[in-house]
Amino acid sequence: MSRVKELQKSLFGGTTSNARQFGMIFTLVAIVLLFEILTNGLTLNPGNLISLVSQYSYILILAIGMLMVIVAGHIDLSVGSIAAFVGIVVAKVMQDYSLPWFVAILVGLAVGALIGAWQGFWVAYVGVPAFIVTLAGMMLFRGGNQFIGNANTIPVPEGFRVIGAGFLPEIGPDTGYNNPTLLLGLVACVAIVIREWRGRRTRREMGADVAPMWISVIRVAVPLVVVVFATLQFAGGRVGTSFPVSGIILAVLVVIYSFITRNTAGGRHIYAVGGNARAAELSGVKLKRVNFMVMMNMSILAALAGMIFVARSAASGPQDGIGWELDAIAAVFIGGAAVSGGLGTISGSIVGGLVMAVLNNGLQLLGVGSDRVQIIKGLVLLLAVAFDVYNKKQGRFSVIESLMRPFRRDTPAPASPAEAEQERGKSPVAG
Amino acid sequence: MRNFLIRGVAAGAIALLSLTACSQRSEEGTTSAGTTEAAKGFPADSLIGVALPAKTSENWVLAGDLFTDGLKEAGFQSDVQYAGSSTTVADQQSQIQAMVTKGAKVIVIGATDAAQLSTQVEAAKAAGASVIAYDRLIKNTQGVDFYVAYDNFKVGQLQGQALLDGMKAKKPEGPYTIELFSGSSDDNNSAVFFDGAMSVLKPQIDNGTLVVGSGQTDIKQTAIDAWKPENAQRRMDSLLTSTYTSKTLDGVLSPNDTLARAILTSIKGAGKPLPIVTGQDSEVESIKSIMAGEQYSTINKDTRNLVKQTIQMVKDLQAGKQPEINDTKSYDNGVKVVPSYLLEPQIVTKDNAAEAYANDPNLAPLTK
Repeated sequence: MSRVKELQKSLFGGTTSNARQFGMIFTLVAIVLLFEILTNGLTLNPGNLISLVSQYSYILILAIGMLMVIVAGHIDLSVGSIAAFVGIVVAKVMQDYSLPWFVAILVGLAVGALIGAWQGFWVAYVGVPAFIVTLAGMMLFRGGNQFIGNANTIPVPEGFRVIGAGFLPEIGPDTGYNNPTLLLGLVACVAIVIREWRGRRTRREMGADVAPMWISVIRVAVPLVVVVFATLQFAGGRVGTSFPVSGIILAVLVVIYSFITRNTAGGRHIYAVGGNARAAELSGVKLKRVNFMVMMNMSILAALAGMIFVARSAASGPQDGIGWELDAIAAVFIGGAAVSGGLGTISGSIVGGLVMAVLNNGLQLLGVGSDRVQIIKGLVLLLAVAFDVYNKKQGRFSVIESLMRPFRRDTPAPASPAEAEQERGKSPVAG
Repeated sequence: MRNFLIRGVAAGAIALLSLTACSQRSEEGTTSAGTTEAAKGFPADSLIGVALPAKTSENWVLAGDLFTDGLKEAGFQSDVQYAGSSTTVADQQSQIQAMVTKGAKVIVIGATDAAQLSTQVEAAKAAGASVIAYDRLIKNTQGVDFYVAYDNFKVGQLQGQALLDGMKAKKPEGPYTIELFSGSSDDNNSAVFFDGAMSVLKPQIDNGTLVVGSGQTDIKQTAIDAWKPENAQRRMDSLLTSTYTSKTLDGVLSPNDTLARAILTSIKGAGKPLPIVTGQDSEVESIKSIMAGEQYSTINKDTRNLVKQTIQMVKDLQAGKQPEINDTKSYDNGVKVVPSYLLEPQIVTKDNAAEAYANDPNLAPLTK
C-alpha cells in the first residue's frame, strides 16, 4: 500500500480520527490563515485570541447542548431567553440578598435545571413538539426576564465576574509567560500523546491493523504543534491575562460531553433516538427519559452560558440572550449535524462555532460593519451545509456521509481498500 | 510503545520550554494609565475607534458618517462600527475588543447598554487607549476617561416646558390630560430626560393643572424598551383603548422623535384628535411632521456640534493636551465621577424651526 493510501486510510477511515471533523478543521484553518494575512497578523495575536475565546465561549457552551438536542431530533429556541432569565435571577439574588457569588451560580444552575425539567416534561411526557415548547419558552422566559428585571440593567459583584471575564493567576517563577496556562498546555500535550498511544494499544489488543508508526507520529505532531503554539500565544498575552476562565469551563465541558456522547450507553441512546426513534424504543431505549434529559441538559447549559455572559458584561441587561439560539444552531449545523437528527459530534459543533467566531472576529478586525457581517455569516451557513449535501449527491467524499460509517458496523475496522476507493468517489453508488 | 509515549511528552515539554525564553509579553497598561498616559499624546495618524449602537435612529447614522469624515479630515485612521440590530450588546462588546486589538488610541463609545461594557472598556484602558463616552455615560467602570453629551436634564426640562406651552396655546385653561413616555431603561439618559421633564411637570400635576389620564407616572410604567417605535405604538394603542374612549388627550410627553411619530401614528390610527407631542433629535420625518402641524416640538441637539466636540477631544489627546471639560461633578457612573463636556440643547417648534436649522443642509429646506 502506498504511503498516500495509508495516510488516507488512517485519516478518513480510521477509528480514532473523525473525517467530518477533519473537513471542518481544514476550513477553520483556512479561515484563520486568511484573516491572519488580511489583518496583518492581528488574528493570532495573543490579545485577540484571548478575547476571541472569552467572547464566544458562551455560544460554544450552548452549541454543546444544542448538538445533543439536534442529534435527538429536536430543536431548542428558548436558550437565549433562558440564559437571560437565569442571568437576571442570579444578578437579582446577589443584589437583593447579597448571596456569595458561588452560591448564586448554584442557584442559577438550579433554576436552569428547573426550567429544563419543565420543558423536558412537555416534550418527553406530554409529547408537544420541542419546537413549540421552546418557542413558548422563548416568550415565557423573555417575559420573565423583563418581569423580574423591570427591563433594568443590574450589575453583578466583582467576584462573580471571574467566570466570564476572569483569568488564571500569575504564579510561580517569572518565565515571561503565564505559568498556569503553560501548565494547561502541557496537560493537553500529554493527553494528545496518551490518547494516540492508548488507541494503538487497543487496536493491537483487539487484533486490528495498527497504523504505521509514521502516521501516528503525524497524528500526534500536528495537534502538538497547534497546542504548543496556542499555549504560547495564550500564555504570552498582556501580564495579568491568560487562557480565560470561561475557556477552561468550555474545555472541561467539551471533554466531558464528548466522552458521554461517544463512549457511554446514555450518549449513544441520543443518537439512536435521533436516527430512528421507533427502532430505538423497540430496542429498549427509554425514549422519554432520553428526550427529557436532553432538553433538561440544554437548559442547564443555557443557564451556565447566561451567567458567563452576565459575568463578562458585568451586568445583566434586558437584551441579553437575544439571538443566541440562532448562533448555537448555526454552529451545530456548520459543524455537520443533520437536520433530521441522529448525526453530529460535539467537537464538530465546536469547530463549527469557531468558524463563525473567527469569521465574525476577523471581519470586525477588518472594520466590516455588522450589517455585512450578518450577510456573510448567513451565506457561510448556507454554503457550508449545501457543499456537504452536494458532495454527498455526487458520491464524492462527504463529511456527513463519513460520519455514518460508525453506525454501519459493530466494531469499526479500518476501511478495506474497496471502501477507500469508494470514498474517493470512484464508485458512484457510494453514499 | 512506552518509548513512543515518553518521546512525545519530552518533545512537547522541550518545545514549550525552549520557547519560554523568548517571551513577548508586554507590561503596557499595568502602570495605571488614564489621563497621565494620554498626556503623552500619540502619533497623528493613529487609529481611532468609534463604536455606536444599532442604526435605530437617523441620529446614529449621521453621527457615524460625521465621525468617518471628521476623523479622516483630522488625519486619523478611523474605524466606525454600528452594533447589529438584534444582538446589540454582544456585537458592541466584540467590536470594541477588535478596536483594542487593532491598537486604537482613542475609542469613542455610544453605548447600547451603558452598564454592560466594563470588561471591554477596562481592556481598552489596559492596552493604553483613552475611552470617551459619547452621548451615553458608561457605568460601573473606572475605565471611562471623558463624557461628551448634550445636557440631558436640560433636554427634559425643555420638553416639559414645551408640552405645557403647546397645550396652553391650544386651550388656554386647564386642566389638561396628558400621558408620559420615557426611553429604554437600559439607556442611562432615559431617566435623566424623564427627571428633567418631571421637574417641570410634577408641580403642575400636584396642583391639578395636569392630569395623567392613565395614572401611569412611574418611569417603569412609561419606559419604552429598546427605544423601539413599535413598543411605543403598542403602549399608546392600549392607553387609547383603556383610557381615552371618551376622554380627550391633550398632550403626550415623548422622549424622542422616533417614539413621538409612533405615538402620533397610533393616535391617528384610532381616529382621535392629535394632542401636543414633544420630541427630540430633529429627525427629518419629525421636522416634516412639525411643519405639517402634527408633532409639536423637537430638540435640536445638533449632532454636528457633538461630533465636532468629540473630535476636538481626540485631537487634544493626540497632542498630549488635557481636553476641555465643563462639568466635573454631575456625572457619576457608579464608581467614578466622569469629567464631562456638556453642550446646550435648543427647543424647536414650528415657530423657530427655520431659524434653528438655518445651518443644516438637510433640514433647512424642510422648514421653508
